[in-house]
Amino acid sequence: MNNIDSLTGFLDRSGCLQTAGRLSTDSTSGEKTFAAIWIDFDRFKQINESFGHLEGDEVIKNLALRFRNRVSGRAELSRMGGDEFVFLVPKCDRSQAQQFAGEMANTVEEPIFIGKLTMRPTASIGIAIHEPGEDSFALLERAERAMFAAKNKGGNSIVCSGDEPIPGRLGITLAREELSIESILHTALETGGLCLHYQPIIHANGHVEAVEALMRCSVNGENIPPGKFIPVAEKTGLVVRLGEWSLLQGTMQARLLQDAGFHTKVAINVSRAQLISPKFTQALHAALICSNVKPELIELELTESLFMDISETVQRNLKNAIAAGVSLAIDDFGTGYSCLANLKDIPARKLKLDRAFVTVLPEDRRALAVVRAMTQLGHELGMTIVAEGCERQEEIDALLDVGVDAIQGFFYARPMPGESLLAWLQARNSK
Amino acid sequence: MNDILKDSPPSAVDNLFERSIIDVGIPPCPAILDRFTTELRKDEPDYNRLASIIGSDVGLSAGLIKTANSPFFGMHQRVRSVNDALTMLGLKTASRAVAGIILRKAFPNVANLERFWDASARIARLSGWLAQHINISGLRVDDAYTFGLFRDCGIPVLLGHFSNYGKLLVIANHDAERNFLDVEEAELPTNHAMVGCLLAQSWWLPEEICQAIRNHHDLVALESASSNLPVLSRRLIATSQLAEHILQKQLDLSITMEWVKLGPTCLKILDINEDLLESLYIEALPIAAAAE
Repeated sequence: MNNIDSLTGFLDRSGCLQTAGRLSTDSTSGEKTFAAIWIDFDRFKQINESFGHLEGDEVIKNLALRFRNRVSGRAELSRMGGDEFVFLVPKCDRSQAQQFAGEMANTVEEPIFIGKLTMRPTASIGIAIHEPGEDSFALLERAERAMFAAKNKGGNSIVCSGDEPIPGRLGITLAREELSIESILHTALETGGLCLHYQPIIHANGHVEAVEALMRCSVNGENIPPGKFIPVAEKTGLVVRLGEWSLLQGTMQARLLQDAGFHTKVAINVSRAQLISPKFTQALHAALICSNVKPELIELELTESLFMDISETVQRNLKNAIAAGVSLAIDDFGTGYSCLANLKDIPARKLKLDRAFVTVLPEDRRALAVVRAMTQLGHELGMTIVAEGCERQEEIDALLDVGVDAIQGFFYARPMPGESLLAWLQARNSK
Repeated sequence: MNDILKDSPPSAVDNLFERSIIDVGIPPCPAILDRFTTELRKDEPDYNRLASIIGSDVGLSAGLIKTANSPFFGMHQRVRSVNDALTMLGLKTASRAVAGIILRKAFPNVANLERFWDASARIARLSGWLAQHINISGLRVDDAYTFGLFRDCGIPVLLGHFSNYGKLLVIANHDAERNFLDVEEAELPTNHAMVGCLLAQSWWLPEEICQAIRNHHDLVALESASSNLPVLSRRLIATSQLAEHILQKQLDLSITMEWVKLGPTCLKILDINEDLLESLYIEALPIAAAAE
């Protein structure tokens, strides 16, 4: 019979293409779309080289049999040659395709016995969902590209077409969405699409002790959430550029407040990538000099990722920052990489408790006990304690009750543009 | 003064411009302001001449670019040169804003910056001329001019901040061994290239210009194929260094050591051989010698 692979009894390459063509006609006539799943065994070459092609063929036959049993009529099975299989799954969306691919990965992983050896094969799997009007070649090409992306991740993984990593502008491999964000960040830097918003931090005595500068990115009217652009900026190293820009903007804002008679600190986030650079101290001083602000009005918020590795350069940069007259705060404390031992190494004056502790208050007594302990510890170390993400009066009551010194959150104010901040502070003062 | 100023209380743009000039922290050159006032007093001031006067001053140019790039105008594309800023704001509006701050004496008078003002204007003009004359691939004349003008914009800021900075500059200029910035950093916690870069970033100048400002004394970044310094930044640096070298040589100014350290690499970047360099010395003379 034509278009049948003699080793496995599956369709061969041209049979696969014909079937994909037929399914794409079905899907354009109103049927649900279909998926192409491209499976390639990891390190199969080693089996062929170590045991010979005959043994390799036996392994392929064995795996094909497992696939047939597992799939049991749910997909059109084909072998593209060598150790590569393509399964076409009708009426299948992305999440069903991922589930199907997961099943296939499990099927592959069952042990295979070659002579006295037990092998545990793994596979790299690429998924492409047929798009309206797409021809079979293009579909299979996408599935294969996704498979290669899975292989490049080290194998034993599944990648959907559209998610595969691509070299970005800075030569760093990124997924498609990250790539688009990287491009937006560059546009923002070129077109002035960045700005800082400021969220007040209120002391228990009601005084506005500081405002935290939070970066916002907007390009062509579209706002990109920080949760999306910050990780990409960190990955690509753009975070250093954004951080330096923030330093000057933040210190300039502090100067504006200072000129208007407010003794309100501006807290500026500093990333690990900035602090591991020997140039950090110069950039900080440059910002302080350009803005001509009193250094005591500047606070640097250190993100928790800093705790992964406090190198000599980082320690020197932190020491220099303190010598310059600015103060340090530890952000998001209590989760992630935070470690009590680091508290003694970082000369910070402020500890900002992660919002995760706040949102469960006051009901969660265990969380409250942890907050109480962290607050006492912080006080013992001469630090003030700030709780972030406070939205309800009950949370604030519970936090102040256990000794937290200051509160930041929507309850008091959302982050606001620099132009609104002065008016907000004046209005609060006049109350 | 001409009726451009009569019955005009400061507008939002005037206020923004004044604030920008103050934020920039680089006082405008009094001689340039005098020339500006003289032109503006004429019955029919020549606005192109006024634009050229503004464009030869670092503080005024930076103030205008910062104003044009401020959120007030809500532009999707930022201006990258003083010419762009003047086009965007309109010559009359820009001139009125400059005249306004002259009248109000809005800017602080700090250290004596004569040499800085003069050198910046000349380097900018000659850099623009070189970019046009030797047709450097991918290099816009406006960018070469802008970079030449702002390359050392960190210097007046540091002069205003550290009393010993003037002396330090002399030492750095004549140190044949050490990197210019190393000399600064031996005494100060920062250097003029870093200050200039941060300022340029805050005015939203193009990234290549900001990086060029930051690295204009860095031979390793300039030379190394693997450094992250964009090609355009390297060409900007090389063009301005060449401009400075021609100026020093042709005007018999005090010779700094920068060309000794960076010259060969700059010539390589610009693909200029000895013969072409010799002819440039002669051809550039009228441009180098011309007063504003």
